[in-house]
Amino acid sequence: MTTKYSNLSLESHNLSVTAAPITSLPVQEEMRTKAAPITSLPVREEMTTKYSNLTLESHSISMTAMPMKENNKGNQICVDRGIMLQRNVTLERPNMPAEKNITLERPSNVELTCQFTPSGNLNSVNVTWKKGDKLLEDNYLVNATGSILYTQYRVAVINSKQMGSYSCFFGEKKQQRGTFNLKVPEINGKNKPLITYVGDSVVLICKCQDCLPLNWTWYTGNGSVQVPIGVPVNDKYVISGKHANETKLKITQLSEDDQGTYWCHAIFELGESEGHVELVVLSYLVPLKAFCAIAAEVVLLVAIILLFEKYTQKKKKPSDDGKEIEQGEQLKLDDSNGIENSGPRHRKNESVGQ
Amino acid sequence: MAKVNRARSTSPPDGGWGWMIVAGCFLVTICTRAVTRCISIFFVEFQTYFSQDYAQTAWIHSIVDCVTMLCAPLGSVVSNHFSCQVGIMLGGLLASTGLILGSFATSLKHLYLTLGVLTGLGFALCYSPAIAMVGKYFSRRKALAYGISLSGSGIGIFILAPVVQLLIEQFSWRGALLILGGFVLNLCVCGALMRPITLKEDQTTPEQNHVCRTRTQDLKRASSCSTWTKEWVQTCLCSSLQQEYSFLLMSDFVVLAISVLFMAYGCSPLFVYFVPYALSVGVTHQQAAFLMSILGVIDIIGNITFGWLTDRRCLKNYQYVCYLFAIGLDGLCYLCLPMLQSLPLLVPFACTFGYFDGAYVTLIPVVTAEIVGTTSLSSALGVVYFLHAVPYLVSPPIAGWLVDTTGSYTAAFLLCGFSMIFSSLLLGFARVVKKMKKTQLRLLAKESDPKMQLWTNGSVAYSVARELDQKDGESAL
Repeated sequence: MTTKYSNLSLESHNLSVTAAPITSLPVQEEMRTKAAPITSLPVREEMTTKYSNLTLESHSISMTAMPMKENNKGNQICVDRGIMLQRNVTLERPNMPAEKNITLERPSNVELTCQFTPSGNLNSVNVTWKKGDKLLEDNYLVNATGSILYTQYRVAVINSKQMGSYSCFFGEKKQQRGTFNLKVPEINGKNKPLITYVGDSVVLICKCQDCLPLNWTWYTGNGSVQVPIGVPVNDKYVISGKHANETKLKITQLSEDDQGTYWCHAIFELGESEGHVELVVLSYLVPLKAFCAIAAEVVLLVAIILLFEKYTQKKKKPSDDGKEIEQGEQLKLDDSNGIENSGPRHRKNESVGQ
Repeated sequence: MAKVNRARSTSPPDGGWGWMIVAGCFLVTICTRAVTRCISIFFVEFQTYFSQDYAQTAWIHSIVDCVTMLCAPLGSVVSNHFSCQVGIMLGGLLASTGLILGSFATSLKHLYLTLGVLTGLGFALCYSPAIAMVGKYFSRRKALAYGISLSGSGIGIFILAPVVQLLIEQFSWRGALLILGGFVLNLCVCGALMRPITLKEDQTTPEQNHVCRTRTQDLKRASSCSTWTKEWVQTCLCSSLQQEYSFLLMSDFVVLAISVLFMAYGCSPLFVYFVPYALSVGVTHQQAAFLMSILGVIDIIGNITFGWLTDRRCLKNYQYVCYLFAIGLDGLCYLCLPMLQSLPLLVPFACTFGYFDGAYVTLIPVVTAEIVGTTSLSSALGVVYFLHAVPYLVSPPIAGWLVDTTGSYTAAFLLCGFSMIFSSLLLGFARVVKKMKKTQLRLLAKESDPKMQLWTNGSVAYSVARELDQKDGESAL
């Protein structure tokens, strides 16, 4: 079995759980022998040699059960010893579960490491690993450096059976827990429903950010039942995709029956992931009603304004006759004034001309 | 002798129904300029639906803008020969038809024709006549009226952008285009509001048209030969067109036209390249969007406040100077822009540029009215907006080419800055030359006939000075 997995990538993930001031070395060594079944080592070594030409991923989570003051001391100690653990040490509330989500696409070796700084004696800490609820017997190491307890679990993830959540437990006064969730990459469909019209065509897109699935399949959702879409059946459905990380489903000649949720499944070696797109099919009457309402309002306003204009014009006309008569009188006055004035002006011009 | 005013000609009311005209023009600006800008919100939808890239879909916006500006003279011709009401209502119907047909489009080419050409043509028929109408109804508060009407562009974008987004989410782009078509139908309401007004200055042209018409009628009765009538109609049309576009030969207008070319070349790239420039100096996407919002809001404030400001008695005679000052300041801002490399420096830039951008946009119709008078204002505005079209089309690609070849935005911004400063200097220079000519004429008038000076209380020297003042009055109104 192990020879088959020689081309797998190695991924290493660390979780550190810190809790307490230093304890003496001999005790730690005892702890080591107690917690870590050395017999398992050779098996692990075998596995690692097979998978050594693979990529390694490391993830780490730090947990601490210590109160603030003591934790500071712990930090100082870290600095003194020059161990670059400081960046892994984070202050969290006690008993808060530390969790990490790991996205796996291809079969790989996964190395999960938990760090724990106990508040009390290192000896009193009981280290266990679980997958889901099942207790894991082998494939893990326990190590202690200074005041920090490490435990490492390695697993070769080949198919979907090895995916899931792995937890490391540090049993002390209160049990500290760190969880690694191994998942396949998520698919993005669309959050908002797609609106289309009867007789129209639509393109549904499902995308995956940085992954390359082996295959894509589409299903229509009928409540909780998913019915696969058969491509060669008719021209109505066309599945295509320019790049491997996206898939497009084109549906033509839409009718109201096509309304609903569409699921896109991305198939990886390590399992399946799905995204969904909601399709809403409206009839043309829906926006047409809004349009007709606006058009009616426009016609009404135009009619009102034009009628108002005619009304004010009619009002002006009878009063205008009066104004014209007044203007005529004014003109007569002006003319008479003009005649009077032109006399002296006339004389002036004559004198100028001379 | 005083002429008899048979027609109900008045002086500009400066209020009353004028405010309804302002409201109508405000709505026209919203329905044309703001809707044009909001079309770009549809681009993402068009890209996914028609599987085209951004460059292909962006053509729609360019076509609408270009056709709106290029056909602006057509708009003024239609509204001069029929009436403003008919012109704007026709434009509203055309634009609405374009949008409605666009909602049934099955390819991007259909959208170019319907959404691009048809809607653009409809907008062109509405835009310049509406603005010209405001000029006819106001003289004392002209700049304020223009400020309020033209602020519709900024306020419209503010309101319409989220509304269009909501419409697309609820009804998809087809339904949204249909409803937008209904909204644009409100241009007909604006058209109905544009009650015609005959001003005292408009006395001569109706008479000439009347003469032309009576001549054609006589000829129709006299001979049944249709070719004669056609010739007369053509000559009458030619003469009326000649009279309408007589301002094209005015030196003042030619100077304004050239300065508008350079000004339009300078101002358009900023709205395209400000956000990419801000992103390139390290501003985040949200901060860049915030800068654009500041630009838009301050633009609106600049529209209205600068309009109010230049209507004050102290600045009323200096509207031309304020106009060239605003353009010059915008050009200076452009020159400073490459030196502003962080957000705290870009915010004051956005405020200043936005304010003076709104300021000179308000004053374009005011200055045009000063130069050509209110009779030819509609046609003049048509020509001015027509001159905006080619720079708007040409400037962003040239700026983009400069950015690509030089690798930075400095060259593009400097070119735009110098273009605007040149426009401002040209206007200033022309005004200085005109003043010098005027003082020369005055000196000539005084020196030409010493005998006349004896009669300085009389008519001669008074009439020469009056002539000069009248010329001033025509150009300064």
